[in-house]
Amino acid sequence: MDLEGFEAATVPHMNALYDAALRLAGDAATAQDLTQETYLRALRSFDTFQPGSNARAWLLRIQYNLFCTQYRRRRRMPLVWLDEGDPDPSLDLPSPEPGPEEQTVRKLDRLAVRRAIARLPEDFRVTVTLVDINGLTCSEAATAMGVPRGTILSRLHRARRRLEAMLLPELGRVQADDL
Amino acid sequence: MTCEDFQLRLTALSLGELEEPERQDAREHVAACDDCASRMLRDRQLTALLRASAVPAPDEVRAGVLTAVRAEAGRPTTSSSRRPASRRHWVALAAALLAAAAVVAAALLVVPAPDPGSPLSAAWSSYHDRGEDGLGSPTPAQAERLFAVLGPDSRTPDLAQFGLRKAGWEGRDLAGHLAAVAEYRDPKADPKHARVTLMRWRGELPRDTPGPDEGGDLAAYTWGRHTSYWWEVDGVVWCLVGTIDLDRLRQVADHLRGESAGIRPG
Repeated sequence: MDLEGFEAATVPHMNALYDAALRLAGDAATAQDLTQETYLRALRSFDTFQPGSNARAWLLRIQYNLFCTQYRRRRRMPLVWLDEGDPDPSLDLPSPEPGPEEQTVRKLDRLAVRRAIARLPEDFRVTVTLVDINGLTCSEAATAMGVPRGTILSRLHRARRRLEAMLLPELGRVQADDL
Repeated sequence: MTCEDFQLRLTALSLGELEEPERQDAREHVAACDDCASRMLRDRQLTALLRASAVPAPDEVRAGVLTAVRAEAGRPTTSSSRRPASRRHWVALAAALLAAAAVVAAALLVVPAPDPGSPLSAAWSSYHDRGEDGLGSPTPAQAERLFAVLGPDSRTPDLAQFGLRKAGWEGRDLAGHLAAVAEYRDPKADPKHARVTLMRWRGELPRDTPGPDEGGDLAAYTWGRHTSYWWEVDGVVWCLVGTIDLDRLRQVADHLRGESAGIRPG
């Protein structure tokens, strides 16, 4: 088994896998389980992975299938991770480093965004997570979710309009250098 | 291109997935229409907000995944149907429970092979020997987290109709399973036969747990003075353990099981 090759192809995408697992599963413990089991499944089927293709899309597809077949029934909406300690802000803040006040505002914004995403219906939430947050193309998300590309675009369009309505105050605070 | 056409294509445009010649048409439209230019700006602001909300994997998650992957890679592949995460969870749960040597440990680990003379039984007794204030009340943050994980199931049901008084509740983290633990007392009974503990956590019934039979009747599991009933509804495991008389404990179990099933749609 090519463990080195597997790790080189997949470990750089662990943040995306965990983030998506959190939004799917709703709590940190289940997200950890889902992430780990996704990697184990990916390892067992690594011989089917096409070198040079999009490993992130491949992993997210495995994870979404796993969630649908084994985890969805256990999940309920609470999303406890929303209130857990915020991860290192330096990981997702643009540079130059903003001042303390700006950091606080942005942290509040991130919480507001997470809550807003959590309130979306599951299909919308997964689509936004895969495309808007984790950077899959609409075609890759369509493959992962087993729906046509047009359905992904339609879900994104509707989800974004809902998010816009929920996040009007936060949208006003986005800085030019964030765009 | 009309404003309506533009709005329908805005998402694809923002994602860079609008093909020519529509992309050029959209650009020309937005250059001439202030309303749609505002919409496009708001869409970009939304994209920036969404991307900034990403949550990176904590170090312990990374370490756990890498450990599991390396262990799996070094293992002969004989079975494709294993579920390491679940197994890991239960092994970890068992280990944590053993270490804690608390009531939940006793209740879980005696299933399916109880040994009334084992240290686990002693742990159970030791737990109860802590006195009437074995459990307190969770902090507001714990209560909020319990409610977040278990929803209405986190609440301590009122069992006054069965002569049981609430004696405390709290959350216990059992190797990732956050369990709500509630205790009750029968103030009129002999203390040895007056205790009831109710535990709920999100997960699956441990294998070989004496759950409901095919007819839906609950099976009791008894060791020493203790009897337990187990069931699972919509991903939440319920475990009721008590030392009160069996008929009453069974009535409590039936009552709670009915309520636990009834609070969920479908």
